[in-house]
Order: sequence, then structure tokens, then C-alpha cells
Amino acid sequence: MAAVKIVNFVKRFGEVTAVNNLNLEIYEGEIFGLLGPNGSGKSTTLLTIATVYKPTSGDIYVFEHSVSREGDTVRKFVGIAFQEPKAMWVDTPYELLLWHAMIVGYTSHEAKNVVKETMERLNLWEHRKKQFYQLSGGTRKKLEIAKVMIQRPRLAIFDEPTAQVDVITKHALWDVVREMRDNGSTVIVATNDMFEAEKICERIAIMYRGELRTLGSVKELKDQVPGGDVVEVSFEGDREEAKDALLKLDGIGRYMLGNDKIVAYLNKGEERAAEIVSALMSAGIKVKRIMVQEPTLDDVFFYFTGARLGEG
Amino acid sequence: MDLMGDLKALGLLVRWDLTRMWRRRMFIAMRVIWFTVQVSVFGLALSAMVRFRGVVAHSIDYYHFYLFGVYTSMLFSISVSNAYEVAEEFEEGIIEYHLSLPIKRSILSTGRALGGGIAAFIFTLPMYAIVLTLLGWGSPLALFASLIAALIFSVGVVGLVLSIVLSVKSGDATDILFGIIDAIIIRLSTIFYPAVVLAKIAPYYYAALANPISHFVDLLRTLFFFEEYKILAVTDPLLMGCYLLGFAAGLVSTAIYIVERKLEGGGWR
Repeated sequence: MAAVKIVNFVKRFGEVTAVNNLNLEIYEGEIFGLLGPNGSGKSTTLLTIATVYKPTSGDIYVFEHSVSREGDTVRKFVGIAFQEPKAMWVDTPYELLLWHAMIVGYTSHEAKNVVKETMERLNLWEHRKKQFYQLSGGTRKKLEIAKVMIQRPRLAIFDEPTAQVDVITKHALWDVVREMRDNGSTVIVATNDMFEAEKICERIAIMYRGELRTLGSVKELKDQVPGGDVVEVSFEGDREEAKDALLKLDGIGRYMLGNDKIVAYLNKGEERAAEIVSALMSAGIKVKRIMVQEPTLDDVFFYFTGARLGEG
Repeated sequence: MDLMGDLKALGLLVRWDLTRMWRRRMFIAMRVIWFTVQVSVFGLALSAMVRFRGVVAHSIDYYHFYLFGVYTSMLFSISVSNAYEVAEEFEEGIIEYHLSLPIKRSILSTGRALGGGIAAFIFTLPMYAIVLTLLGWGSPLALFASLIAALIFSVGVVGLVLSIVLSVKSGDATDILFGIIDAIIIRLSTIFYPAVVLAKIAPYYYAALANPISHFVDLLRTLFFFEEYKILAVTDPLLMGCYLLGFAAGLVSTAIYIVERKLEGGGWR
């Protein structure tokens, strides 16, 4: 059974189309990544799954229940850690989590135990009496994640869980995500961090400007990038001339141009590196560095979205 | 979720609002002190002035009239101040958090209306105690009925507040709208002017007759001083009680409808 089935989902805010005709399935028991830059429609999709937004058209089914028509049922299955932690500035972490634990179904006694256990696990216990405005960005993020850990939902949603979080905490939170999956939850992680997606997600959907661009496992996505090799050249000189010199070569199907960097996708990258350097130098471009590598998820993203380097 | 689960969620939502009220305890203490000064100094001076100028009949003590009026205006204003709290919660994304919780939307809206109403009611209890100390505590039945009426009234006002704030979804509109509502609705009522006086200006009079504030304040007056106010009240106590019940049920139902059918996250201006 699909944990989530998204069918022709469209979400508009006034004139703006945030998500346009999205179709995908998320399987029960997997860690699924929604990857895309800010404004790509990831959060809108997640918030609709959590019934916070209503679809403009189409529908989303969570464990076969429609978010449009069976919201009360869907919410029993879903727990979400929001991108922006939700609390008033005077709230204290302990009170917030205690209230949350009780509203998701724990008795008062159970709630105290599970909150203490979760706060200790996330190193939040020492912050329990502080007010929300006194917490760092990373601690606030952990507080948001603690809500989902306490809830233990069948479908756990994390919207950019490690944004503003230090490296050590990031790894700890990835362990939490994996642990939730191991304990039976289906997990959806929205991120714009390619490394994070590669590290924890079993399947990934790349979204861009409200549309699904591709879907598959990390390996499947990398295999779809034509050429197989990525040649990255750092240079000094006119970028247009660099582009023209590169395009004169055979077999350059796709490329991306930055101000001082050009990335080309091609076969047999190692063998052709010298040819590329030669072509650029002939055009008066000074080559500072050349690297040949397998495609990363960054490359996959740029290949499927057509986004330019440095595009915000 | 079963009935017990729904009731537990309702209780926790009420607790949400009570926790917020408790955090404002210093503010409440200051309001109570100011209220005491208002009713004991300015209220007495005002009543003496009214008596001296022979504005009302000798059988009526304007001080009685005034004290219930000033308490009602306080209860209404405190209930309306929930609008600013809900607006702030919207800005902080708390509404989105609440919408994602595993509870029915009808429970969410009822819980917030009840919670806001109970919080406003408790907030003004010390002021009510001061009023009753100055006027006499009346019969236990009158006291009990007046407390129930105050609770129903404040829940109704918070239902109105939720319906409007969650519909307009704008901090600026909330500020303007509730500034106007707080100022005008109190004045278009029998809080400070008896219905018989307002009867001389037809639009004013009919606005006051339709105004739930008039029904609440006149109900309080007739509960404690029936003989004194039976001819001044907008209608008889039973009808006023029914009107208040209808007001609260109608507005809480509207809030439920809006939260269940219309409300979604985002779009806050």
C-alpha cells in the first residue's frame, strides 16, 4: 500500500501556482526525499499532506484517506516538524512538548516520561525552562523534531530538518530519522541540501518551480544523467567565449555556465579533459583547474531542472 | 477519536488559553487595581453627579447601573483582546501547528472559543468580586446565574473574534476592526445609558436592542436588582438569557464552520 498517493495535485495562492499537477507515490516504510530549492513547492506539498493546506484541485491520499474529505482521519496518521519552529516567544520547551504529548494521546504521566526521554535524547533537557526566544536556531529546530519523535506517527514529515543546525546535530538528527523509519514510520524529508538527501533518502523526487522533474533512487537518478561523467573547469576570462569554445567540441550535450566555472556532461570525461583544456586555451581562456567526476546529486538536480549555477 | 479523546483535546485547548492568561498575571493585577480605582473613585463621583443633576428617578441608583456596565465593558474588552492573541498566533504559525494536530477541526474551534472565553471570564473574576463587594453579593441563585451568563457571553464574544480574525487573516485588519468593534459596540448598548433614554433616538435604540452586550448587562442588573431595573431593561430576564445562549451558540458554530470548511494555513497578511 502507498503511504501517500498524490494525484493531479494543484495548489494556487491567488495568482501564484505553488504546485502544478503533481503526481507521485510514497511507499510505506521508506525515507522519501523531496528535493528542491526554496519556492519549489516542497513545503506546500508537505503542508497539504498534513491537512494544513487544502488542495486547489486534485487530491492527496494518506494511507488511502483523502486529505480533502477525510482530514480528521488523515491527521491521526501524520506528524509534522515544520520548517519554521512553531511557538510563541514566551513558551518554554518543556511546557510545549508536554502539551503536545498530551494532545497526541499520552496520559499526563506517560507524557512526562516521554518528554523527558525525548528531551534527553536530543540534548534539550538543559534548555527545558528557557523561553523560546532564548533558544538558538538549532535548538528550536530540535524542539520541532522532538514533537514528531514524541508523536511517533505512521507518517512522519520533516520540513528541512537540519537547516541552521551544526554538523554534529545534523548527524544526530539523521539518526533520528532513520530510527523512526526502523520503528515503522514512513518518513518524508524535504530538503534543499543534496548531501542530506543522498545521505538519508532511499528515493528522491526533485521539484522545481512547483513541478516534479524526476523521481527515483539516488542511483537511478545519477544513471539518468547523460554522459555519465561531469567535467568541471574553473577559468579566468570571458564566460561567453568559454562557452563558445566548449560548444565547438563534439559530444557536449549539456553544460552549465557560471561566472568563472563551466560544468559539462559527457562520456569518457577523463580522456577528453585535455581536449577541453586545449580548446579553451586556444580561445584565450586561462584554465585554473579541471576536475572529472561521477555525477553528484547536485549534477542530477541541475540536469533535471535546467537551473543555472548561482540561481537563487 | 472517541468521545473521551475529544473531551481530553477540548480540555487541553482550554488549558492552552489559560496558560497564556496565566503568563499575563502581572498585567491582570494592574488592570484589577485600575478597575478598583475606576469604580470606587470615578464611579462614585459620576453617580453623585447624576444624582445631583436629577437625571434618573429617585428609585434608581445610578451607581448600581454604572458598576454592572463597567464590569461588562471590561469583560467584553478582555474577550475581544483575544483577537490580538489569535492574530499573533497566526503570525507565529501556531495556527498551522494546531491545524496539523490529530484532533477534529470542530474540537479545535470549540476548544479555542471555550478557552478564550473561560480565560476572559477568569481574568475579570476579581473585578466582578469588587463589583459585588460594592453592591452586595445578592442571592446565591443570582450569583450563580450571573456567573453562567458571564461565561456564556465571553465564549460568544470569543466565537465572534475567532470567526472574524480567521476570516480576515490580516494583522492590520484585526487591529483596525477590533479597535472599532471595541469602541462602537460598547457605545451602541445599554452599558452606560438605559434603554428608556436611548429610545429617544431610534437607530441608537434598535442597535442597543440587537446588541448582545445590552442583553448581558441588563440581565446582570435584573438578576441583582430586579425591582429597580425591570422597567429599564431591554426585555425580560428569560429572553435576555435565551438571547445570550443563541448569541454564543451561533458564533461558536460560525467559528466551527470557518475552521472546518474555510481555514487553512498561510495567506496571513
